[in-house]
Amino acid sequence: MLLALAALLMAMHVYAPAFLSYRNLINVLVQSSTLGILALGMTVVLITGGIDLSMPANMALSAIIGGMFIQNGGDPAVGCVIMLASATAVGALNGFAIGYLGMIPFVVTLATMSVASGVAAWLSEGLSISKFPESFFDVLLARIGGVPISVLVTILLTIAGTWLLARSIFGRHLYAAGLSPRAARVARVPVQKVTSSAYVFAGAASGIAAILLTARLGAASANMGTDGVVLDIISACVVGGVSIYGGFGRLYNAALGAVIITVISNALNLLGASYFLGLVIKGLVIITFIFLDARGKNK
Amino acid sequence: MMAAPGLVLSNISKRFAGVSALKGVELTAAPGEAMALLGANGAGKSTLMNILGGVIQRDEGVALLDGHPLDLASPRAARAQGIAFVHQELTMLPTLTVAENIMIDHLPTVGGLIDFKALKRRTQDLLTRLGCRFDADTRVGDLGPGDQQMIEVARALSRESRVVIFDEPTSSLTEPEKQRLFGVIQGLKSEGVIVIYITHFLDEVFATCDRVTVMRDGMLVSTGPVSAHTVASLAHEMLGEGSLAGDIPTAVPPADEVILSVAKLTRARVLSDVSFEVRSGEIVGLWGLLGSGRTELLRALVGLDPIDSGSIRLKSSGHLVTVTPSQLSRSTAFVTEDRRGEGIFPGQSVEQNLSLPTLRQLLNRFGLVDRSRERSLADDLIGRLGIKTSGRGQDIATLSGGNQQKIVFGRWLGSQPTVFLLDEPTRGLDVGAKTEILRLAVEIANGGGGVLLVASEPEELMRVCHRYLLMDRGRIVGELGRGATRDDLVARVSNRAVDEVLQ
Ligand SMILES: Nc1ncnc2c1ncn2[C@@H]1O[C@H](COP(=O)(O)OP(=O)(O)OP(=O)(O)O)[C@@H](O)[C@H]1O
Ligand SMILES: [Mg+2]
Repeated sequence: MLLALAALLMAMHVYAPAFLSYRNLINVLVQSSTLGILALGMTVVLITGGIDLSMPANMALSAIIGGMFIQNGGDPAVGCVIMLASATAVGALNGFAIGYLGMIPFVVTLATMSVASGVAAWLSEGLSISKFPESFFDVLLARIGGVPISVLVTILLTIAGTWLLARSIFGRHLYAAGLSPRAARVARVPVQKVTSSAYVFAGAASGIAAILLTARLGAASANMGTDGVVLDIISACVVGGVSIYGGFGRLYNAALGAVIITVISNALNLLGASYFLGLVIKGLVIITFIFLDARGKNK
Repeated sequence: MMAAPGLVLSNISKRFAGVSALKGVELTAAPGEAMALLGANGAGKSTLMNILGGVIQRDEGVALLDGHPLDLASPRAARAQGIAFVHQELTMLPTLTVAENIMIDHLPTVGGLIDFKALKRRTQDLLTRLGCRFDADTRVGDLGPGDQQMIEVARALSRESRVVIFDEPTSSLTEPEKQRLFGVIQGLKSEGVIVIYITHFLDEVFATCDRVTVMRDGMLVSTGPVSAHTVASLAHEMLGEGSLAGDIPTAVPPADEVILSVAKLTRARVLSDVSFEVRSGEIVGLWGLLGSGRTELLRALVGLDPIDSGSIRLKSSGHLVTVTPSQLSRSTAFVTEDRRGEGIFPGQSVEQNLSLPTLRQLLNRFGLVDRSRERSLADDLIGRLGIKTSGRGQDIATLSGGNQQKIVFGRWLGSQPTVFLLDEPTRGLDVGAKTEILRLAVEIANGGGGVLLVASEPEELMRVCHRYLLMDRGRIVGELGRGATRDDLVARVSNRAVDEVLQ
């Protein structure tokens, strides 16, 4: 996959020299950070064999709730906590319905997605929430050693998450439950708890993404969670080799997948391709990787 | 030169990722002959048959039928040349019916559509021939492994064949079904079909086979008439010098202290009013036909299946305390009879498969799994159980069936549970490994644990049990003491079969 990324960068260097400029590269990384964090959450869910379609809508809703709080004079730090908490709560709702009530992930999260984006549009009345105090941006847009906070946060979460999934009991249980829920139950894995926790993590990831994205855009709006974002998240995961059948996948690969998807989007932009052509190309990328996944599985 | 009629496999070799699984193996069989293929777990029997069945490709060697080279490029190609394969692991599609599963690769059609009438009639004929008591319309997922095994057999017989391979067909069958299967094999032989029969029940070899080929570590050890052998000589050839595990120590008589007490456990249509006790140090055999509720009882105890009523009490710090099934499961080891469906985690390493239930004991001070302790736990269990693997990192799915079974059992040894529920724990194990597992069961009991053991082989129960509970239709219908003979046990089971016919 690193090879694919290198090849992509080389091609960009030839066709659009502006791409490899330091500014543009940092820009790409900042853009990938939101997607990367969403992909981390999605990966945890995909490992259980499920899917969370509600992540972008959840991100937008929590950004709006927290954003309204800050706009009305609330402490920005508390506003961030509100974003994180509300997104996690929606994730917990998904988790309860799927893990404990045994409802189907696709349907549950489709419904939550619809509710969340509905509420988001209603609360914000379709407008974007902005005019945040400087202190909000001072921290979140800061750079440490030239690297933006959002990129650092993503890298840290990726490393810690990868490590925890490989080494913690929860991580081991997650892979086991995703690979074979029946065998996992026999081996004393609390499958219901593990499955529902995965959606809580996805919710929390949506909340963190909401904070970083709101800071970057300087505004919160219902448009943050368009359909295209789900496509990007899933693309990042499958490009990162996360199996949609459950049981396999590494967080750092999903994060790299997010970088690749962002580079592709960015490249298409620089080359002047239309948004729609972008959708077509990303769709094709997903199908190719799912094909590879299915072939690997049959071996 | 006139080509000899029959099957010739010659100089077959196969390597997997640098490990030799087969090294120049030979196997021949004449029409109408049943050839037994024996060997310890991991000897390469299934690999050899997978080559003959077109499932995997050989690296070297020749395969001839009646002097003509066989095209073994795919299972379909092998099938078209009359090679039928009853696999060691069940390969059913659980959401389809029995009939659809049996005829899956040659569904009868009228005008391009499936002819359901013909499908049903033909399947029903086959099922009757095999003496199966379920209907052709039953969903396969609703049947237990024994019944599914009979469907595998039916599928192999549903087409004309020249060669029929049976890879451990009896490992989940009870006595009456076994007898019917042997009848079917006799029928095949008299029609001139070549039968290749893999088993770990050595007495079956004498009942059904004419010649026997023994393999060890991917190599041919001997081939010759069955009459030249005894059970002991076969075991010796399979396992090699000195590897016959010593005998099972006698289980000491159990203490008086009851550690598990079950009262009136009931689940609609599956279990009714099941009450019994297990004492510390006791090995209790559960004996009954397939579908008598043995497996269902074990599953209900640990909460894998729901219960409607009843109570479970478990000894905990000196007292019998009422517990829920999920609480009981925390101090209980459960070895499933369905290794493939709910035993192994395919795609994960031997090591991860072994450590899963004991992770909590492997944590370092940061609450994370200590990799070096995990590795040494795995290496220790691999050594103790004689698991044949290229290393603890090998994907469990590529282990031989018997070696997977050792892992499904062995993963509980680290956690020191008080109660062991063993559902066919020796399924697919060679004679040496079987003894080893039973020896471990005795060790567990002698250490004060309680064991509930389900086995379809009366001999196996008789080697270790203190007492037998007889089950029928979800009830405990009787109890036999240690002195019970094989005939006592078998009589109880066949009585029921007779009742059934009379009704
Ligand atoms: N795909 C594979 N990759 C690596 N090793 C393999 C693979 N398939 C089989 N092996 C190895 O080949 C050896 C022979 O396995 P095989 O399944 O033929 O044994 P077997 O004689 O059928 O044993 P059992 O009695 O336990 O069924 C084993 O050591 C196994 O680990
Ligand atoms: Mg085998």
